[in-house]
Amino acid sequence: MALLQIAEPGQSPQPHQRRLAVGIDLGTTNSLVAALRSGLSEPLADANGNVILPSAVRYHADRVEVGESARLAASSDPFNTVLSVKRLMGRGLSDVKQLGEQLPYRFVGGESHMPFIDTVQGPKSPVEVSAEILKVLRERAEKTLGGELVGAVITVPAYFDDAQRQATKDAAKLAGLNVLRLLNEPTAAAVAYGLDQSAEGVVAIYDLGGGTFDISILRLTGGVFEVLATGGDSALGGDDFDHAIASWMVAQAGLSADLDPGTQRTLLQAACAAKEALTDASSVAVAFGDWQAELTREAFDAMIEPMVARSLKACRRAVRDANIEIEDVQAVVMVGGSTRVPRVREAVAEMFGREPLTDIDPDQVVAIGAAIQADTLAGNKRDGGELLLLDVIPLSLGLETMGGLMEKVIPRNTTIPVARAQDFTTYKDGQTAMMIHVLQGERELISDCRSLARFELRGIPPMVAGAAKIRVTFQVDADGLLSVSARELGSGVEANIQVKPSYGLTDGEIAKMLKDSFQYASDDKVARVLREHQVDAQRLIEAVQAALEVDGERLLDAEERMVIELRMQELSELLKGTDGYAIEQQTKRLSQVTDAFAARRMDLTVKAALSGRNLNEIEE
Amino acid sequence: MGTPCHFALFELQPGFNLDLDQLAVRYRELARGVHPDRFADASEREQRLALEQSASLNEAYQTLKSPAKRARYLLALKGGELPLEVTVHDPEFLMQQMQWREELEDLHDSADMAGIAAFKRRLKVAQEQLNDSFAACWDDAAQREQAERLMRRMQFLDKLTYEVRQLEERLDD
Repeated sequence: MALLQIAEPGQSPQPHQRRLAVGIDLGTTNSLVAALRSGLSEPLADANGNVILPSAVRYHADRVEVGESARLAASSDPFNTVLSVKRLMGRGLSDVKQLGEQLPYRFVGGESHMPFIDTVQGPKSPVEVSAEILKVLRERAEKTLGGELVGAVITVPAYFDDAQRQATKDAAKLAGLNVLRLLNEPTAAAVAYGLDQSAEGVVAIYDLGGGTFDISILRLTGGVFEVLATGGDSALGGDDFDHAIASWMVAQAGLSADLDPGTQRTLLQAACAAKEALTDASSVAVAFGDWQAELTREAFDAMIEPMVARSLKACRRAVRDANIEIEDVQAVVMVGGSTRVPRVREAVAEMFGREPLTDIDPDQVVAIGAAIQADTLAGNKRDGGELLLLDVIPLSLGLETMGGLMEKVIPRNTTIPVARAQDFTTYKDGQTAMMIHVLQGERELISDCRSLARFELRGIPPMVAGAAKIRVTFQVDADGLLSVSARELGSGVEANIQVKPSYGLTDGEIAKMLKDSFQYASDDKVARVLREHQVDAQRLIEAVQAALEVDGERLLDAEERMVIELRMQELSELLKGTDGYAIEQQTKRLSQVTDAFAARRMDLTVKAALSGRNLNEIEE
Repeated sequence: MGTPCHFALFELQPGFNLDLDQLAVRYRELARGVHPDRFADASEREQRLALEQSASLNEAYQTLKSPAKRARYLLALKGGELPLEVTVHDPEFLMQQMQWREELEDLHDSADMAGIAAFKRRLKVAQEQLNDSFAACWDDAAQREQAERLMRRMQFLDKLTYEVRQLEERLDD
């Protein structure tokens, strides 16, 4: 549909029909939803005027509580209250255990090896917990904006691997959200700043959140945001600062190291409060039980120094990967609540030789940028022209080869979307099957990389070793999600998978969760679905009409045009009724008969993009 | 994957000397037209089309942007596919390679950051010389062998540059 709209740069067919879309920052500690309202992107507040929703979910026997009140219950009800669930997304049980003793939950293994948290409502996967947060934000947005959402842009750390991205998308699906795009958090922050200041040049985005650290280097040119390199650490964040203070308290107060979960939570809350106080004060009094002491900012700085150093190292690596020098960076943007820590700001300023930008609230900047992109993706044209975000994959993708080695097929920091093929052969006479093991990571040994998926190509005709030619194709879409296909070129035998990460939910699990979700149980759904089909159909009709007007004459012959108009007429008739299924089917039919027309218009656009500026060279 | 010639996609004549800034400008213009973000609410088929077009555009850009990849691509256009791994008969360059590798090892042992910076500058000069030599001969069928040799030298230098970067990373630990 959007394709058919290419050549009409003016207004959308019905400018008053603004399509509601939001940007959601699903954070480790806090989450936010933002939307464009009267031209300004701003976070949406709840009934009490709070824009920040603590990412805390508490399960009661009969209901789910999300936000500040849930967070406060963390110490009194540790097993049923989940905090920082983002750290568990797309992780296996063994990864989670490595995260440390700090997690007070009781885990149970699921069908998919994903850690399920045992709660009073039964086992809950991190995906379900995240979905609860997203549901609250969705409801807030629909209430504030006064309508149903067309979709949402959900942000993820740039450093998230395929499994973590897939888990985030699944959570959105579960929350009833249509994901327009998964957007990297630093890119979203760049959009928020880039638009305000119509900046040009190279910028670095330093994003230190509650649980993750990201660094991205971008080049901004006339509304195009090109990510040059990205890096970071998916297990480094402000939470670690809290843990550092908590460990210090435990040592100073002479407490035993294995505290019960409730005490541990209380301790962490005290630590977090101390950290926040040290942003403005040079020292703070900390107390725990009868024990009391003074924590100076100097001592705190020393505690976090190794973590700050780790983040700076990732910055240097990203600068190298971007093939630039540190001096080339013209601006540094601070994102994430943890960048309020003075030592962090100081260290970043030292390294880049300039004061970092903090004009936009570091807690809100990601959601604000995501909302701007959501608005564009939903098809609401902006006055200032559309933005284009060219993102990269954060980690190399590859295959297992002989000897347990990883062979890279797509190196990290490759611009997406990307498709790349690699040829392999059989190593035994008469071999009829081949195992394809897909990996993500930078190390050579497969045991040091993350296993994304395994699948088998079967039915290869028996040949002598080395005679078969097996082409494995990797495709990464604009969300950074991977699909892999394998094909024996001689016989045409094929196998495809949309990579379902080893630690993701199985399709069966998702289907069951969707069914269980009361959101979907009511008749509401039928009405909602019908409305969606009606809106889609209406939009397609408008788009086709507009496209016919502009290009119908020159790109279609009389018969083609007649078929399109006939299908359009039929769809208009159906729109008078309430048969959602029929509308959907007819929309598909109309879409099909306009396919060739759309493709021709796409060619035209590509040519149009080239013309003008380079005519001299084309003609020689 | 049945894509048209990379140069044609950018409406350029096949050639080695490219204005990279101009190539970047053109890339961004083309990407604007076909990026999947423009089709976020389009039909599945159109989304797939946009995904494929964007992927081939990105591939073309990556190939043309890198001198070594561009050189390889030009030679393949002219005279069929080149095998990735061949036994190289280039004794002169082999000596040079060994010398560079030794230097790199010394730099590793001494952890000499200033030395690494100087080494990188020298590699860059060598790369530029190779580019000039390749530009002068690739189009001449009689010098095909020389062009292939130069292209492999360029590939080696890319690899070496990458190793220097890895060394920098290790020393940063």
